[in-house]
Amino acid sequence: MQSSLFSLSFLVTVVRLATPILFAAIASFIAASTGIVNIAIESIMTFGALAGILGSYLTQNAWAGMLIGLVVGICTALLIALFSMRLGASPILIGIALNTFADSLAIFVLYQLAGEKGTSASLPTPTLGVLNIPVIKDIPILGQLLSGHYILTYVCWIVLILLFILIYKTPLGMRMRACGLNANAARTAGINVERLQVFSLVLSGLFAALGGMYLSLNYLRIFSKSMVAGQGWMGIAANGIASGNYGVLLLSAVIFAAFRAVSIIFSSSTVFPVDLVSAIPYFAVFCFVTIASVINYYRIKSGKVEEQ
Amino acid sequence: MGETILKLDKVTKVYPNGTVANRDINMEFEKGEIHSIVGENGAGKSTLMKMIFGIESPSSGTITYKGEEVHFASSLDAIKAGIGMVHQHFMLIPSFSVVDNIILGDEPKNGIFLDRREAVRKTQEVSDRYNFELDVTEKVSALSVAKKQKVEILKTLYRDAELIILDEPTSVLTPQETEKLFEQLRSFKKQGHTILFISHKLEEVKQISDRISVIRNGVSKGTYRNDELTMEQLTNLIIGRDLESDIDRYKTHEDFHNEKAAVIEDLCLERNGKPVLDHVSLAVKKGEILGIAGVEGNGQLDLVRCITGLEKTKYEGKIMICDTDTSGMNIKGRRDLGMAYIPEDRMGDGIAGPLPISDNMISTYYTRDDINTKLFMDNRAIDRISNELIDTFAVKTESNKTSVDSLSGGNIQKVVVAREYNTRPKFMIAEQPTHGIDIGSAEFVHHKLIELRNSGVGILLVSADLNEVMDLSDRIIVMFDGQIAGYFKNARNVTDQELGMFMLGASHQTPEEIGGALND
Repeated sequence: MQSSLFSLSFLVTVVRLATPILFAAIASFIAASTGIVNIAIESIMTFGALAGILGSYLTQNAWAGMLIGLVVGICTALLIALFSMRLGASPILIGIALNTFADSLAIFVLYQLAGEKGTSASLPTPTLGVLNIPVIKDIPILGQLLSGHYILTYVCWIVLILLFILIYKTPLGMRMRACGLNANAARTAGINVERLQVFSLVLSGLFAALGGMYLSLNYLRIFSKSMVAGQGWMGIAANGIASGNYGVLLLSAVIFAAFRAVSIIFSSSTVFPVDLVSAIPYFAVFCFVTIASVINYYRIKSGKVEEQ
Repeated sequence: MGETILKLDKVTKVYPNGTVANRDINMEFEKGEIHSIVGENGAGKSTLMKMIFGIESPSSGTITYKGEEVHFASSLDAIKAGIGMVHQHFMLIPSFSVVDNIILGDEPKNGIFLDRREAVRKTQEVSDRYNFELDVTEKVSALSVAKKQKVEILKTLYRDAELIILDEPTSVLTPQETEKLFEQLRSFKKQGHTILFISHKLEEVKQISDRISVIRNGVSKGTYRNDELTMEQLTNLIIGRDLESDIDRYKTHEDFHNEKAAVIEDLCLERNGKPVLDHVSLAVKKGEILGIAGVEGNGQLDLVRCITGLEKTKYEGKIMICDTDTSGMNIKGRRDLGMAYIPEDRMGDGIAGPLPISDNMISTYYTRDDINTKLFMDNRAIDRISNELIDTFAVKTESNKTSVDSLSGGNIQKVVVAREYNTRPKFMIAEQPTHGIDIGSAEFVHHKLIELRNSGVGILLVSADLNEVMDLSDRIIVMFDGQIAGYFKNARNVTDQELGMFMLGASHQTPEEIGGALND
């Protein structure tokens, strides 16, 4: 794709790249809303991406594949819930275990089924396409911005709106936030804190799996190892910066996507070494997280906010 | 009186570790009465309430509510049955509004959505019906402690509680606010509510109750009509012996030539754009206890955080410890000047729970020469010191290697006080030094504080317990809204009612009078 900064196609690229990071960000956000730290998002994305592709290959139906991917995402989340809430393990350690395990499992499964270690390219797999919205697609500029994206990008947008309504406009959402803010207060109000935490983990797994499947079933149309490439972590970073603010969460995710877009543009130029250029988005995440914590430090120091 | 609403029959609670919290408790509560349950800290009042409210379940015995035997699996069951509880530590979410806190768990709905308008209308209606004078749309974090308590009570009324349990509700209130709360409780009673009032303040219990039940060491000592019981009889029932307040014997005035242990000048601190400390100036002299009274959240905590160096937000003003300016100094630097600190949060800040007593006894001066050899720590010296302190402070433990969090609250506090005592301080900050510990340990801690004072240590005592402040202090400061509202040169010539007026902000002295806190 020929694109440069400050062009319409740059924006379109950002929209495409933002989808998985947005999914990862809301996956982290929803778990955190009830007070659970889910750092396994990266691995759930990998599991979801792989399960989606294999499911689609086995059933020869992309939608059925997606359903299988979702089930795998939810099951992984339930596994975290089982280990952390029933068996008393630290959710951080479980997250580390899953993240270490994910890529190796993917390679193992691929090798068993496709005979290849790196990709699923040899498996004939139906995938999801793009959606052209009638009428809107013919409007200049707006048409290009809003129409013709991958189907899961539209799913993402709908989920973002539904999630906002759930968290801020429904009793269930209020209860979930209460669990995260003061679990004891929620408990004495008669709320089953653990049940809501499991529910939020399930949603977290679902969103992360969708993010993974956007990459495999929709965007790249194959599974390749390490395709998630830190985008789950970017979502977690966005949630860290947002500290509970939904608007900041989405904005941070989109900004990270913009830096990915920048790195893609520069990678086609020969001026800079490719390795350096592909580090841009990660360096940007590092900078933003640092800036956010420095700002927070000074807000505490100047007495604008109280220490948590 | 009328029908029985709640009946406890041989209720016993044994915890898995073998501790018997309650044994064969029989009690009956009548509809529409104010029934107090009194007993020392650790007597088993809280456990009993937790069983009634469904947080804990009895090991044996039955609870009958409104004629039916009940087995509450969680507090939700108790709430549904019509029981409400106001916990000693507020169960509120500060960043939520009053409405959201109240409706949480039982929200008005419009389809799948939260019906905010109906929520506001309904909570405002309940608030107005009981004359709470609350703006329900306000954020809870912006409310005073008394108002937060109102929100807690409102939570129970919103859920149509007939039986309301109040666990030590007055511990955070001024005498005037307490009086208002009592008026409200009497009006609840008129409207048919039953009140279970938990307290260890006997004057209040005598003032408000219809009937009083006493618990000692987990065993019921009977239920009495308020008017058939004198204060002395009640005291005897609670502690099983006559309590002699001998603190006055220790009150001596030795002269340390007006030397200052600590001087604080013009201390200001802002948070969220609001001043939480507003030009606070005071001096703690050697050989005196300067008491700070005040309702929680009027800047005492922030003052202590600034002096100790815990505060992260930048403050303005000068803090001198033993004639040295502490600006830019960290906590260790300040401690090296001779500061000692007994923190309010015993479990969080006072000790390292899983570590042995011996380590906790030296943790604030572990670099000192007498417990270190050139390269390693001197374990023999640490053992010797910790065993000495265990003896001197009568800490009940098997050995100095027992983990400190397995001790009772009173003994943990003794460990903290022993350690701070052994830092050989010149200036000590004692923050709620006897909060939530048994009377025996509390008395012991008081005696040690007096002993330190008499040996020339300047002590800044911060306490929400007015009796403690009045009994121990030589001079008293009252803080209100981040300022020193009142200063009393002679702690003996002041009444709790008088202090209460300043704690509430109803009275405020002139700057000249307040200046005495620094200059006397």
